[in-house]
Amino acid sequence: MPYHEFDCSKCIPERKKHAVVKGPEDDLTKALPLGYLNTIPGSISERGCAYCGAKHVIGTPMKDVIHISHGPTGCTYDTWQTKRYISDNGNFQLKRTFATDVKEKHIVFGAEKLLKQNIIEAFKAFPDIRRMTIYQTCATALIGDDIDAIAQEVMDEMPDVDIFVCNSPGFGGPSQSGGHHKINIAWINQKVGNVEPEITSDYVINYVGEYNIQGDQEVMLDYFKRMGIQVLSSFTGNGSYDDLRAMHRAHLNVLECARSAEYICNELRVRYGIPRLDIDGFGFEPLSSSLMKIAKFFGIEERAQKIIDEETARWKPELEWYKERLKGKKICLWPGGSKLWHWANVIHEEMGLDVVSVYTKFGHQGDMEKGIARCEVGALAIDDPNELEGLEAMYKLKPDIILTGKRPGEVAKKIRVPYLNAHAYHNGPYKGYEGWVRFARDIYNAIYSPIHRLSYLDISKDEIPEDGGFMTQRMYSDVNLPEEVTKSDSMREYTGKYNIIDDLHKKEYPEFNKKQ
Amino acid sequence: MPDINEKVAQLENFIMKKCLWQFHSRAWDRKRQNENILGMAAKLLCGEEVDTSKPEDKCYWVDASYLADSYREKFDWLSTMSDDEIRELMLALKARIDFVTVDGSLNAELTDPRY
Repeated sequence: MPYHEFDCSKCIPERKKHAVVKGPEDDLTKALPLGYLNTIPGSISERGCAYCGAKHVIGTPMKDVIHISHGPTGCTYDTWQTKRYISDNGNFQLKRTFATDVKEKHIVFGAEKLLKQNIIEAFKAFPDIRRMTIYQTCATALIGDDIDAIAQEVMDEMPDVDIFVCNSPGFGGPSQSGGHHKINIAWINQKVGNVEPEITSDYVINYVGEYNIQGDQEVMLDYFKRMGIQVLSSFTGNGSYDDLRAMHRAHLNVLECARSAEYICNELRVRYGIPRLDIDGFGFEPLSSSLMKIAKFFGIEERAQKIIDEETARWKPELEWYKERLKGKKICLWPGGSKLWHWANVIHEEMGLDVVSVYTKFGHQGDMEKGIARCEVGALAIDDPNELEGLEAMYKLKPDIILTGKRPGEVAKKIRVPYLNAHAYHNGPYKGYEGWVRFARDIYNAIYSPIHRLSYLDISKDEIPEDGGFMTQRMYSDVNLPEEVTKSDSMREYTGKYNIIDDLHKKEYPEFNKKQ
Repeated sequence: MPDINEKVAQLENFIMKKCLWQFHSRAWDRKRQNENILGMAAKLLCGEEVDTSKPEDKCYWVDASYLADSYREKFDWLSTMSDDEIRELMLALKARIDFVTVDGSLNAELTDPRY
């Protein structure tokens, strides 16, 4: 096994089995790190907890819901700014965050009364919102508060409200992924099948494992609407609580992030016979083949082909412009669970970037299987890295950019490695054809940022050159490019708008007559 | 013309780089996916009919037809093979995918009895 031992982790020998280098003769039966295990004591993990995985990743993107944490206020900090799962209803779920504000006295005397009081108060404060999710936290789980009973009491007293309870305290798994699992199963057990939807199309899907980061879901929804497909529910980005109670009536589950949402797809297949189709919404070729697969399922291939042709013609010249300038740049793909495998191959093929490392903080071995299978030989794959390992990898691999989350990203900046926010995005959406160009644009901007170049100079000791003027991105990126590239008429920089989501809200779609 | 092992390696590499269906979370899921999708792809490559009357089969067919179309487009040597040779090749491919994703897999979660 081609394990990789970090110098900084020699004192934690168990860590050795959590990193591998993909060798030229290695397949997945030879190169796969351990994964989804409890963090080893002494290794300062950057993971989130199971509560975070349930609430902040999966529950809270639901848009028409009061999301309340039963615990200390601090647990519910992840909201506007750290999370960017927007919605088309004014971002209620991001702007408002709720907690029962549990204190020491409640730990001693119980917090059920406090919870009930908070639920009623929240519904009264927001009379237009009649749906609620409640999340268990470590403290209230340990004292044994019966949230289900309190929720039922309130529903009995207020018949117009509906409440979902998620028992996924922070300690309920090795990482946030434990919370993904718990909320998937809780949702299908408690809520799916409770609402009968209006079916308006012959082609009905659930769009699952998509969280509408900066509008990703709305971009994909645009394609589905252009194909005449009814998206019954989105699990859960920009999703509606009641739509998600009707998931059992879809014809097909279209799954993006298998890490966070395959459980509900698997259960929907077993319980309701709805097949699961895994797709890639990122990159021109994977997205095109994904749209075509969905179309084939329904026998509407010509509708997908029209979108593929139009979008490719519009955006490919812009993707090519960036590819010429990104070729051969080294990248560390250090996002969460699914993006490392969504991007590992297509970012190399369509942007020319060389993936030198993949990592996941909370993914399972299944995620690493997909990521390692898709990345090129020589890549370093790391499970649950600690901060020192991340630093050591960056010093060793010398990437031109890393794609990761906000917290490790700031660490990268300190050692002057450009970073792009792969979780919440910089200037997304990144899904869809235009989104993929925006992603390339953001990577280009990060790698060739003149400000970043200046940061390499230490004004306390380096000699500051005074003979040159200010350098622009183009001066850096085009210096070694041939004229046929720099003066090409067929390639161009991104020409889209700053905000591409608002226009989608105003768009009108063709009507397709329902046959059945 | 590559030999059968080289052909299997090329077909396997395409699946690993471009597909997701082979990585469902449990061993029984993976075996089911491999059997149905690769079985249907073999039939499509041999010009045989496949039954897609049930939604589950149609979903397998969607992935199988993408695979068969891509194979025909990318691997010229397929057009020189007889149907029997294609069947033999696809059986070898299935054995290889079963080994990499299930029987030889290092993924400790595959045998978890529940989702």
